[in-house]
Amino acid sequence: MNKKTILLVLGTIVVFGFLFGSVLKTEKVSAVEKEVNIYFFWGEGCSHCVKEKPFLEKLEKKYPEVKVYNFEVWGNKDNQGLLVEIGKRLNANISGVPFTVIGEKYFIGWYDEQSTGAAIEDAVKCVKKNSCQDIGGEVLSLADQNAKQNKDQEGGDGEDEKSPIPQKLNVPILGEIETKNFSLPVLTIVLGALDGFNPCAMWTLLFLISLLLGMENRKRMWILGSAFIVASASVYFVFMAAWLNLILFIGLVVWVRIIIGLIALLGGGYNLKEYFTSPKSGCKVTGGEKRQKVFEKLKNITHQKSFYLALGGIIILAFAVNLVELICSAGLPAVYTQVLALSNLAKWHYYLYILLYIFIFMLDDLIIFFIAMTTLRMTGITTKYSRWSHLIGGILMLIIGLLLIFKPGWLMFG
Amino acid sequence: MKVLKFGAVWCSGCLVMKPRWAEIEKELPWLETVMYDHDKDKEMVGKYKIDEGVLPAFVFLDKEGKEILRLNGEPSKEELLKVIKENKEK
Repeated sequence: MNKKTILLVLGTIVVFGFLFGSVLKTEKVSAVEKEVNIYFFWGEGCSHCVKEKPFLEKLEKKYPEVKVYNFEVWGNKDNQGLLVEIGKRLNANISGVPFTVIGEKYFIGWYDEQSTGAAIEDAVKCVKKNSCQDIGGEVLSLADQNAKQNKDQEGGDGEDEKSPIPQKLNVPILGEIETKNFSLPVLTIVLGALDGFNPCAMWTLLFLISLLLGMENRKRMWILGSAFIVASASVYFVFMAAWLNLILFIGLVVWVRIIIGLIALLGGGYNLKEYFTSPKSGCKVTGGEKRQKVFEKLKNITHQKSFYLALGGIIILAFAVNLVELICSAGLPAVYTQVLALSNLAKWHYYLYILLYIFIFMLDDLIIFFIAMTTLRMTGITTKYSRWSHLIGGILMLIIGLLLIFKPGWLMFG
Repeated sequence: MKVLKFGAVWCSGCLVMKPRWAEIEKELPWLETVMYDHDKDKEMVGKYKIDEGVLPAFVFLDKEGKEILRLNGEPSKEELLKVIKENKEK
């Protein structure tokens, strides 16, 4: 968090303090004061939990009688047991975190301060007025008071700062950089490049360029080619944005993260296999019939007399071809999106990262297209390094897969 | 000696090899080379079993038309010149 954000948060708290100060005073006088315990069950690596945490800390400051007890449940078996016990008592579905218990009420997930936050605060007020049973407290006292020690261990200072990754790195020339701010853009660029760098995968674009170069109308050439590239990028964007929202929505469930971790491991294995079986350079001849069909369609589209029909045709074809190519990416966009979702970012920040990923992913296509359109000659990108991108991509995906399954906290950048 | 060059429009590595061969052909005007398109010249592709391998493919033939050796992928200009020199008289 930078200074500005801290000042902003402090400022907001002060302003809220003034605004609600009078209300609080009257409440304190009228209500019978009672200790209010909040039992906060969270998972290491769950982005929604990270969002709820500061809100609960704020509540603790606002109401002196509020105490928050933290229980990490993805890594700690004892805490898992407590959650199961509380779930039974409350008759609640405990498949997801954050899971917050106040009195007789419980909250699954976290949306924002206005909705989930307001409901939590209402529950706090309810317990304060002595009208609610402290279910969490009852379960805890049964559980041999172990949990309260947990609070000392986990709720203490610097719990969030216990990141195994150094916060700052000294880099020659660049000086000191914050790993948090640096890691995600670098990861985006590296994964985007690895995903995009396969000259053998740009066969559709090369087909199209070869057909476009035969045209006399240069303007039409530029528009049709650009439309193909933009439509291809859009397929990726739509897929990744939808995937991101799905993960942000259901991402609090641990098994989703595990499944994507397994996909990453499979993708990593596939890439390594490709590294060992691929030729040193050149492209393996596969999918002859499919290629021929796409080529025929492209030919018909580019020779279409009506410009708008050609434009529409090229966009539809780009969508169709890239949907197939997406699967060929061996899950890299899906894995990247999962890593992105782990970071606690603003919505538009997520989309900017996706755009950066796609830009890097499509950079080689863009270069080939612009060179071809300006020089009217086709150039190729050497296939010599695609084997290496399989090797690096494979290793990286294996690492990400293992981290997603065992240490998701290491992948939280934002 | 004769060189059969198999490539395709959609193959990035083939495009990389094009100017490399153009240089060699300019330097060695006696060298006979023929270009075949993988998608169009099906007969030759079948005869030399190009479909089972890697593109681009370069097949070196002796005077009788028998295959001496073949190179796949992106051999360097030096590599190609060496192979041509070694088999020039065949």
